Amino acid sequence: MAGNSGGPWGGGGNSGDDRPGGRGDRDDKGSGPRGPRGEGPQIPEIEELVKKGQEQLRVLMGGRGGTGRNGGSGGGRGGPALTRGTMGLGVLGALILWGMASFYTVRPEQQSIELFLGKFYGIGTEGLNFAPWPVVTAEVFDVTTNRTESIGVSRSSGDNDGLMLTTDENIVDIDFQVVWNIKDAMDFKFSLRDPDASVRAISESAMREVIAQSELAPVLNRDRANIEVRVRELIQATLDNRQTGINIIRVNFNKVDPPSQQVVVTDAQGRTQSVSVIDAFRDVQAAEQERDRVERQADAYANQRTAQARGESAQLLEAAEGYRARVVNDAVGEASRFLAVLTEYDAAPEVTRKRLYLETMEKVLGDVDKIILESGNGVGGQGVVPYLPLNELRKNSGGSN
Amino acid sequence: MRAVNYLIPIVVIAVVGALSSIFIVDEREKALVLRFGQIKQVRTDAGLGFKLPFLDEVVRFEDRILTLETPLVEVTPADDRRLEVDAFVLYRIADIVQFRQALGADGERQAAIQLNGILDGHIRADLGSQGVTSNTILSPERSTLMDQIRERSDERARALGLAVVDVRLRQTNLPEQNFDATLQRMIAERDREATDERARGLEAAQRVTALADRTYEEILSEARRDARIIEGEADAERNRIFAEAYNQDPEFFEFYRSLTAYEAALQGRNSTMVMSPDSEFFNYLKSDQGARSVEGE
Repeated sequence: MAGNSGGPWGGGGNSGDDRPGGRGDRDDKGSGPRGPRGEGPQIPEIEELVKKGQEQLRVLMGGRGGTGRNGGSGGGRGGPALTRGTMGLGVLGALILWGMASFYTVRPEQQSIELFLGKFYGIGTEGLNFAPWPVVTAEVFDVTTNRTESIGVSRSSGDNDGLMLTTDENIVDIDFQVVWNIKDAMDFKFSLRDPDASVRAISESAMREVIAQSELAPVLNRDRANIEVRVRELIQATLDNRQTGINIIRVNFNKVDPPSQQVVVTDAQGRTQSVSVIDAFRDVQAAEQERDRVERQADAYANQRTAQARGESAQLLEAAEGYRARVVNDAVGEASRFLAVLTEYDAAPEVTRKRLYLETMEKVLGDVDKIILESGNGVGGQGVVPYLPLNELRKNSGGSN
Repeated sequence: MRAVNYLIPIVVIAVVGALSSIFIVDEREKALVLRFGQIKQVRTDAGLGFKLPFLDEVVRFEDRILTLETPLVEVTPADDRRLEVDAFVLYRIADIVQFRQALGADGERQAAIQLNGILDGHIRADLGSQGVTSNTILSPERSTLMDQIRERSDERARALGLAVVDVRLRQTNLPEQNFDATLQRMIAERDREATDERARGLEAAQRVTALADRTYEEILSEARRDARIIEGEADAERNRIFAEAYNQDPEFFEFYRSLTAYEAALQGRNSTMVMSPDSEFFNYLKSDQGARSVEGE
């Protein structure tokens, strides 16, 4: 403790350097060694003025150190004015250093606990706080800042660390983060010696407990949010039980996957291959996609086929309707033509009949190659043997074609 | 001068003596004051304490919750399936006198070793006891088991001056060989699902394709049927129209139709006619009186 008596001096100076406010004035140090302590000579000084002062001080210490210590009220010859001034400066410096040791700032995200002789005394909040040295000590620490514990991440590749067993005895690989801060500075400081490791272990235990009560399939997809909430509540409850002052903000899943370890598997055809469960899960997804694809392709075929059927049947029906129109119209036309001629014929049968015959024959015989032969029973027509060069006729007609 | 020379050491000694006769117990600590190894004071509250300078020794103990992670132990639940289990223990030093007496000067390290042993035993015993299967461990009853382990190990830890605050099972894993088997089973399950999925896809596709083919045939044959019906109706209509018209004078129809037929049939390009001038058409070819009138002469 003897060393501590120099504490406010040296310690104060040091803490002055540490203070973010930097209220410690360097000039104070120059005047510091002039204080009525034995430390003056130990600190090397360059300035002559200061050296002079030290010499005077030494004289003072040697001659009447006792009176100097007793308050410096005793008037001296020429020295007292100087001694009094030096003393005053020293006291002022000591006061300033004591103030620096006693006042401290707390930033918005921080709080502090103050201990009066080791006993809990109060909580310091944002702003300037006062903890009179040395009976009150203060500890400043971040409170509202979020702290994160990642679980299962770093070691999951090789180790079984992120692997958890579900209630249906499947294995799932989970990485998650727990984000926490401090809700009660006093509880936090006095309850757990190792809060980070405790939060980590309690979180892992809680996650494993929840996973051990869930089935694999829901964990992988639809229950994720639910599990995050349950785990958070479980961790919080465990922590609150012990009054740790820790507030769990949220639990985040980074990864919830089937394990990626390779295993040798013998399939139905007797082939062995190295597969991982996550591959198998992906294969299921691929199969679902494949199923979808095949079904859609079939749908496409069906659509194409029915449309083709509709088109072809429409074509058939339209053709038939066309046929009907053609045939009926033709018939109607022809019939009415006949009837028209018949009306005329009825008016003058003989002439019309003759005329029709002749006109037709004229048209017919006009175009046709004709050979006119006297008939055998005619008057002088004997002796003409009708010889028909049918081949030639054919040729002619073929040529004309 | 002389007085001062004596005074300074006296003051220094007084200050040192005063300082060493007080001690501060932090809120996070408990302390024992030992004099020649004998316990003179037990301090469980924080604050200022007094002791004999130089003779009394202050021994401080942690008053916050300490943590301990047990190594993995393999337990065999009642259903003979093995599980690898480790636990995380929260404990605190409850009774510092007992703690010091039981565990000596190197207390915390000793406490961890001893507690480890106690928990190891209780985890094995409680998770391997009658009626606890691996399904129990993997179920909501897990927390009951954890409480049970906590209570029992707490009882035994009391003798060491420790209080077990909480026991949490962490890993409950399958041993390596079972682990692989489990993975294989999971893969097989997924395989089944994937195969089923693919087969169902093909099934559905086949169903749809076949239905489409059937629909195609149905639609098309219906259309053909309807087309034939229409054509038949058309033919019937045609016949009716012709019959109606021609029945008015069948004899003339025959004549008229024959003429139309000749006209259509005897096209110039493909016909050659050999005919006798006696035919009626040539009636006036040889005489202006006509063949009949010549014969009649």
